[in-house]
Amino acid sequence: MPSRKFTFLALLSITAALMACHAAAAPKVGEPAPRFELTDTAGNTHSLSDFKDRKVVLEWTNHDCPFVQKHYSSGNMQDQQRLATGEHDAVWLTIISSKPGAQGHVSPERADELTRTRNAAPTAVLIDESGDVGRAYAAQVTPHMYIIDESGTLVYMGGIDSNPSADPADIPSSTQYVVTALEDMQAGHAVADPVTRPYGCTIKY
Amino acid sequence: MMGITMHKLLPILAALLLASPWLPAQAQRSGEIQRDHVVVELVSEVEAVRPGQPFRVGLLIRHEPDWHTYWRNPGDSGLETRFSWTLPEGFEAGDIQWPYPERHEIEHLVNYGYSGEILLPVEITPPDALSDERKAGISLKADWLVCKIECIPGSAELALELPVIDPDGDANHPIPESGFAARFARADTRRPESVDWQARFSTDGGQMSVQVQGADPVGIESLQFFPAHATLVEHAAEPFFALDGDTLQISQPLSPYFIRPPEALQFLLVEPDSARAWALTAQPGTLQSAGPVSGSIGAGHPLYLLLAMALAGGVLLNLMPCVFPVLSLKAISLVSSSLEHPRGHALAYTAGVMLSFAALAGLLLALRAGGEAIGWGFQLQSPWFVGVLIYLLFAMGLSLSGVFEFGTRWMGLGQHLSESEGLRGSFFTGVLATLVASPCTAPFMGTALGLAVMLPAPQAMGVFLALGLGLALPLAAIGLWPPLARILPRPGPWMDTFKQFMAFPLYLTVVWLIWVLARQTGPDGVGALLAGLVALAFALWLGGHPAIRRRTAAAAHAATALALIVALAALVAGTRRDGETPMDVNAPWEPFSTARLAEINADPDIGAFVNMTADWCVTCLVNERVALDTETVRRAMRESGTVYLKGDWTRRDPAITRYLQRFGRNGVPLYVFYPAADAGNPVVLPQILTPATVASALNRN
Repeated sequence: MPSRKFTFLALLSITAALMACHAAAAPKVGEPAPRFELTDTAGNTHSLSDFKDRKVVLEWTNHDCPFVQKHYSSGNMQDQQRLATGEHDAVWLTIISSKPGAQGHVSPERADELTRTRNAAPTAVLIDESGDVGRAYAAQVTPHMYIIDESGTLVYMGGIDSNPSADPADIPSSTQYVVTALEDMQAGHAVADPVTRPYGCTIKY
Repeated sequence: MMGITMHKLLPILAALLLASPWLPAQAQRSGEIQRDHVVVELVSEVEAVRPGQPFRVGLLIRHEPDWHTYWRNPGDSGLETRFSWTLPEGFEAGDIQWPYPERHEIEHLVNYGYSGEILLPVEITPPDALSDERKAGISLKADWLVCKIECIPGSAELALELPVIDPDGDANHPIPESGFAARFARADTRRPESVDWQARFSTDGGQMSVQVQGADPVGIESLQFFPAHATLVEHAAEPFFALDGDTLQISQPLSPYFIRPPEALQFLLVEPDSARAWALTAQPGTLQSAGPVSGSIGAGHPLYLLLAMALAGGVLLNLMPCVFPVLSLKAISLVSSSLEHPRGHALAYTAGVMLSFAALAGLLLALRAGGEAIGWGFQLQSPWFVGVLIYLLFAMGLSLSGVFEFGTRWMGLGQHLSESEGLRGSFFTGVLATLVASPCTAPFMGTALGLAVMLPAPQAMGVFLALGLGLALPLAAIGLWPPLARILPRPGPWMDTFKQFMAFPLYLTVVWLIWVLARQTGPDGVGALLAGLVALAFALWLGGHPAIRRRTAAAAHAATALALIVALAALVAGTRRDGETPMDVNAPWEPFSTARLAEINADPDIGAFVNMTADWCVTCLVNERVALDTETVRRAMRESGTVYLKGDWTRRDPAITRYLQRFGRNGVPLYVFYPAADAGNPVVLPQILTPATVASALNRN
């Protein structure tokens, strides 16, 4: 029977098409963003559903990470926080998923102090010690950025900008993806670069 | 002056030479620079520069233990090392000649990079004329990221100066090598060999798949795959390798940050054990498959290709043991003189096949649209269908053996049929061919057709009809094109012998189906069915024997009817499902249940291996025999603390159907491994297993 070989090849190639499905369940742009509930530095609980009908920006951070420092020392991140929460009326949630003892893990007091000393302007800083929310979003690095639209749909995920470097001097010549995405949304069209390469320090889950 | 002898001059000349600004002793290196966790230095392979003659410099990086920097594609995180050159006018720097990287697993991510000491060479091409220059200053600004678990960006500006020799550029002797030449030679042993093996890649179906032809020297035991593009694949997911002849296939899930495929895929294949590495480029394209339906059925797939492959698969079906006996006889009768209009018969037969395929596919699509989770081969999950098929094939076998003639007439094989009867016969031969082909299509092409079902309904129907047309094609061609018929042997007395011989493949098919039924119903059911077969044989023998019928007409009719009723009752009894098949306590596996799987996954010390199988799935059985039931795999299961769960889809089982769907499947086999410590990231194994594939998957734990 000539079927052995062709069966083999057919099944082999089909396998290829089917194996994709085991990939970690990363959120997908265009689909509902994973729901979550986290406590902020003041002890208040926030869940994604609290911000229905508003844009939500998620920023994964680790203040000791040089790539995070690139965007805070230059004021780029703070500017984007003010732009998003001001002009775009968005909610900006800074999330810390470092496990206790790992780089970037901070007490609520320390987190508030960082916000103050860096003159940052997030809506809230959320502590995700268990890393559950970080994993639900498949957040890999700091900074790792996500934007969720008014209907709860994920519309952007990826890097903070287009130049994966730690040098603040590179910022002016880079595309600031969160800003351009918010502008696209305001203008009523689809986000031009909905998925970009995230770069930074690995999140210490 | 004349009094000064040569021997007095020599030391002066020597001193002059040593002090010469264009031959510094350290020209070939920049000097080491210490940065966080690395020491870097710019070094040269040569001692001097000659116009027009390319030479190499390189960045030597010495990492502290456990720290590393990155390859051109850093993997899931990290950053590639970047060079920015400042060179004299007319000099040009090439790209980094990246040594092949190591695979670093950090937390839940995988990175590609270097540890220990590594040299990143770059070729520099000076201009053809350098008559005014006596030295060439070469400056490099290097940026890198050095990581252990934390990452620290690093940067250094390094410079060296090489003297220019033979400024007129006509010398032939080689440029003198520097003390670092051996270090460059060592770097070259880690430089991938560029090969022009033909390679294609596709990003259909959430999967990056690449197929390489002529990859003979490559063994897949320890092979590593490094794509050069950062956001193409999910690096933390182990790639799958399969080698079939000289075709190597590699698959890895796409990265969640995948946006669009590269214009050409650049990648490395590395055998770290033998320190061999190959650099390849793959063009986008459709992966080759000899099968009836290509593996990657995606939106971007041309429909004509799917149809062509379905057609080819259909033609192959003619050779299946359950189909060939019927069709070979039909072919002979078609060309025999008794049939006046072979064309009409060919068309009637084709119509029979196509309508049956349309009906089956329509039923399948309608059931799917109605939310039923079924796949092609679903017919065989019904013991009823299997029972009827057994009766049918057995009756045909008896007819071919000459026990009775009824079947031959029904199949249009008779020699003395009226034209209309003959045409109807041909039509039903088509129906019959489709029916008897189904035990063969399901296991051999079930998965492929299951995928076809996922296409939009009109296209799916198209694929099924193409398969039907393929099945009908050889016979139709014989009828429609007389010259073809002349190739076939003339009908004659030999046909009887041939007919009787052809009964045996049918009996074998019957045996296989009875075995399938045995697994579905249990020994009581099979007993009833076998008794039914005897009754059927008796009825057919009695009914098909004119001599007996004539002599004792009423009694014979009654007996025939009675035997048929017994056969029917046996069929009903035989195909009723018994209770659960008792579990074999000695089996190395446990029956699959979602609860048991959840229990295992909750325990970080034990992993799970799930095998979804069905008795009518030949691939599944072959895999169990050659791979899963071997000592290699049993040992790997024991050593890795893995519990073997087996789900049996021989009968429809909603829990298993739902499980299959979670992996985007609508058919078996499916093999999934849940590592003990990382049950959240199950690994799907290929559908063709070898003991080594399974064992290596288990040991990855």
